[in-house]
Amino acid sequence: MSAYIASLVSVIGINLILALSLNIITGFCGQVSLGHAAFYGIGAYTAAYLAKLGAPLPLTLLAGAAMAGAIGIVVGLTSLRVRHDFLAVTTMGIGFVFLGFVRKQKWLGGELGISGIPGSGLDPVSYAVLIVAFAAAVMGFCLWIKHSWMGFTFDAVADDEDAARTVGVNVSTYKLVAFGIGTALAGLAGGLYVYFARIILPDTFDFVQSIAILTMVVIGGTGSVWGVFAATIALTLLPEVSRAAADYRLLIFGAMLILVMRFSPGGLASLVRRKPA
Amino acid sequence: MLFVELIVKGLVYGCMYAMMAVGLTLVYGLLRILHIAHAGVFALGAYMAVTVTNATGSLALGFLVAAVVSAVAGTVIYRLAYQPILHHQAFVPMVVSIGLFIVMQEAFRMIFGAYGIAFDNNPWYVANISLGGINLTYVEIAMVITSVTLLVGFGLFAGLTRAGIGWRATVSDPQMATSFGVDAVRVRYINFLFGSALAGIAGGLVGLLNNYVEPTMGGAVSYKALAIIVLGGLGSVRGTLVASLVLGVVEAFGAIYLADIFDRDAIGFLFLIIVLMVRPQGLLGRSSG
Amino acid sequence: MNTLARVEDLHISFGGVAAASGISLTVEQGEFLALIGPNGAGKTTALRMVAGLLRPDRGRVFFGERDVTNLPAHARVRLGLGFTHQIVRPFYGFTTVENVMLAAGHHQTESPWRALASRSRAAAREKAQAILERIGLGAQAGQSPRALPLGQRKRLEVARALALDPKLLLLDEPLAGLSSHEATTMADLVRALSGQGITVVLVEHNLGEVLRVADRLVVLDAGKVLAEGLPKDVMARPDVRQAYTGVI
Repeated sequence: MSAYIASLVSVIGINLILALSLNIITGFCGQVSLGHAAFYGIGAYTAAYLAKLGAPLPLTLLAGAAMAGAIGIVVGLTSLRVRHDFLAVTTMGIGFVFLGFVRKQKWLGGELGISGIPGSGLDPVSYAVLIVAFAAAVMGFCLWIKHSWMGFTFDAVADDEDAARTVGVNVSTYKLVAFGIGTALAGLAGGLYVYFARIILPDTFDFVQSIAILTMVVIGGTGSVWGVFAATIALTLLPEVSRAAADYRLLIFGAMLILVMRFSPGGLASLVRRKPA
Repeated sequence: MLFVELIVKGLVYGCMYAMMAVGLTLVYGLLRILHIAHAGVFALGAYMAVTVTNATGSLALGFLVAAVVSAVAGTVIYRLAYQPILHHQAFVPMVVSIGLFIVMQEAFRMIFGAYGIAFDNNPWYVANISLGGINLTYVEIAMVITSVTLLVGFGLFAGLTRAGIGWRATVSDPQMATSFGVDAVRVRYINFLFGSALAGIAGGLVGLLNNYVEPTMGGAVSYKALAIIVLGGLGSVRGTLVASLVLGVVEAFGAIYLADIFDRDAIGFLFLIIVLMVRPQGLLGRSSG
Repeated sequence: MNTLARVEDLHISFGGVAAASGISLTVEQGEFLALIGPNGAGKTTALRMVAGLLRPDRGRVFFGERDVTNLPAHARVRLGLGFTHQIVRPFYGFTTVENVMLAAGHHQTESPWRALASRSRAAAREKAQAILERIGLGAQAGQSPRALPLGQRKRLEVARALALDPKLLLLDEPLAGLSSHEATTMADLVRALSGQGITVVLVEHNLGEVLRVADRLVVLDAGKVLAEGLPKDVMARPDVRQAYTGVI
């Protein structure tokens, strides 16, 4: 594996974890989140800060995931309080609050972020393999959830919360679990990114990043693990395929969002299944 | 003195937010769409104002073109992007709106370049007068006058004219209004026309205020406008106006007193999140929801 | 007879208008109780307070010996308090049998962790199918609830509540909107459930069917209990007749 391929594989693995983790919240449980990049950032900043203090990789990854998950559960609490559209704007707001906070913190490097992060101790190829192993585990976990009673119950919560309560489902707990798992996995992706990039900047975790993650989920088909898998790989490789695609990456993302929602709101997954709309 | 100055500056920004947020609220009230692409309409207005003014030397013509082009763009967005997907659940139009916003932002970058444009002749953003010891630039004063004039004008239209009453009826209960013979689709067009024209004019004014127009300028303002309509209780015009002014003032104070902890853009959302935790229905929203 | 559920002095008002002002009643084990009264008497409100969908301003709700006043609806369901909505709320994304399955798997869905650890849906499917057969929807198992006419959707709502193994079944106007033939079938169905050991509380406008199937009546008027007793005794009372004719 060349260094270029290793770096591409690493990026794909990290994006996969991000998209699959948002898919747990938005796809499985039906809770809109427009601020997922903030949890990616919380994981990254936590891991980077600890790594610079000398903490070993397993500990920093774990701490990043735990910190993102804990804050994710707090954000999930708003989903118990506010309606759907309110939640979209609130989660968008979380992204801005996170960025607005880290940009002003001198101990987190302010606008310049954190650089000089120690290496993972692995060569780039082995590290790419580690990322892929994590991505594969997350993928397996998502498939497990989907076919377990948890996935069944998430479907019910996404379909009709009141009806779910009627059959004894503790809707609040399930939503918090979705937020907790989804944001912790985004935090894990952040930790993995830290050792890959060795430098983190606040702008990496901005609103555009949240939208990019959402694009992968929506185009793959919200709720479909394999659809999100395929869309993430395709959209990550797209800018590598041609120079033009790289220059107009956002334009293409935007256009795809419009077209997919217009003609196949279930994403790629529903095209494959040929389910009537 | 600082205290009064912060309130005044906050209200000036609040007027600008109100021009953006009223359009969003009109769209939300009628169609239940979070119209994120409103940000693109705002930036479009700014670009029209700056390019036409620079080309012709007439600021009035620049703003007229900004209002008209934005209004047309808003209605085209409704007709081509939203109307075909209104029957889907709210998530679908919202994602389309995000897509539209990104496409518009990228289109501005391609057409006008990534690095902003300034007005060739804009003495008003520095020239200022002192009112009771508080310095306000001409642009800031124009912002307040324009927003108050347009919003009051719209209020009179809604309250006094026949078309306005039909409009109000439709916004509060579309089905009922339709059964009384009001053309609901025409009302949607009025909402997009008026809301988008307001956004375009606001864009032009913000361009003058900073003497700078750039592709991403719509972002921060319209995200805050989204926060405002949520604060105001989604769909309530009165709530939106109050929330605009409140947010402007909160931000002015926060930007001074919380400067070491949060940047300006975060303060509005922080406020929103705190308010929603206490009052999930927004500042003026009705409770059951 | 043992008391299965009991409410004491329930008060609630909406925007200053009292919908219940001191409702007290008891439900005996195994009985079929119908809650009737003119429009606006507070029947559905009372039922929703028992189910936990509304929280009373004042008063207590007991289920068995337990004070459940502060328990949310889903927790009451788990204690054996099943209910159906006046307006049917199936999961439209699920098939008919899946709707019932989710309820049938209530042991699996009790905690997210147990749900995560459980994969097999066979037992729940079997139980759901059996309930659908029992309630006359066996042939519709694979269909979307969208494809079902209202009468069948109402039965689906009952099937879903049954799958939760309820001790007490609260039914909010299950006959509303049905043709007279469908209403008779539904009333017979509920009567049969009651015969199988499930305690039933029914809120219903269709007096003819209520008088035919219920064991005992409680008449509400203006947020208070006006009368209770055997159907023929209650309906003979002048104040009950007055309440009905006076309002209608």
